[in-house]
Amino acid sequence: MLLTFAQWIQFTDFFTYVRSSTFFYPIVLSLHMCGIAMFGGMILLGDMRMLGMGMTRFKVSDFLDQLKTPKRYALLLMVTMGAILAGSKAEEYYYNTFFRVKMALLLGVALHGLVFRSLYARAAAWDEARVIPSQAKLAAALSLLLWTGLVIAGRGIGYIEPPLDKIHARLEQGISYFR
Amino acid sequence: MLAYDPSAYPLNQNEWSFPVCEVFHIVSFAIAISTVAMVDLRLLGLAFTSQPASKIWKDTAPWTLVGLVIVLISGPLIFFSDPVMYTYNLSFRFKMGALLLAILFNYTIQRKVALSDSSGALAKLTAVLSLGLWVSVVAGGLFIAFV
Repeated sequence: MLLTFAQWIQFTDFFTYVRSSTFFYPIVLSLHMCGIAMFGGMILLGDMRMLGMGMTRFKVSDFLDQLKTPKRYALLLMVTMGAILAGSKAEEYYYNTFFRVKMALLLGVALHGLVFRSLYARAAAWDEARVIPSQAKLAAALSLLLWTGLVIAGRGIGYIEPPLDKIHARLEQGISYFR
Repeated sequence: MLAYDPSAYPLNQNEWSFPVCEVFHIVSFAIAISTVAMVDLRLLGLAFTSQPASKIWKDTAPWTLVGLVIVLISGPLIFFSDPVMYTYNLSFRFKMGALLLAILFNYTIQRKVALSDSSGALAKLTAVLSLGLWVSVVAGGLFIAFV
């Protein structure tokens, strides 16, 4: 059923255009990478601050609070660009193990946000406390693992050969030295 | 033509050593560029508005340096896996030019503007230029595979 959906969506007008245009797919991918470049480090540093391993001159709640808005915009950018990328090669990604891992990790990130929602709301209390509570450190460590996994899985997507005999659409402007 | 044979190069022996190197490259540029972006956001007045820009610069500087150092180690490692291809690749050349400009800009003009806690048009222009340069580096890197 997911396969049929993937096969349908990649042949819609918009995603066919994405696939056949010389520059659209690379530009979308660039924006996706810029999202990681600009904000991946903010997520990393936020987690490092929660673990007490960096940026210690900032108060925890202040640091997290100030970066909340940029992180949200970045997440929006990354997810939108990711959706455009995925839709254009939906069938190929359906067969790609790293893509599936990445989707699972994204689900993990969403769950992490839900589960630790109340924890982050109480962040102001950590500033007075001598030691950051271990639950907060757990949240930070899990977040680090999830996001690092996302980067690795995302990079790995490009390393699996698509099953050429099964898919019906390919990126028309491929890697130049493989053409 | 080449003094050595790329097929004998350590990073080409194993199927996964290249992706591992790339992951280090990506994570380290994420650290470097995000910390630069934090200073830029402050100069644009979009984040950390309660703190002076100089404090943001001083606190993020070690992370930027660590990120850049790992980038400048993992980058050449990746380059030497296929030096001829990269040398002739227009996007790679663009990226190297943009990277040089970005690093120089960051440690001269941006440093001066951040440490002097200036706000106003100059600070905003500096931030926009800085972000533009680093975005060019990332985009340049990505387009290597597409030109």
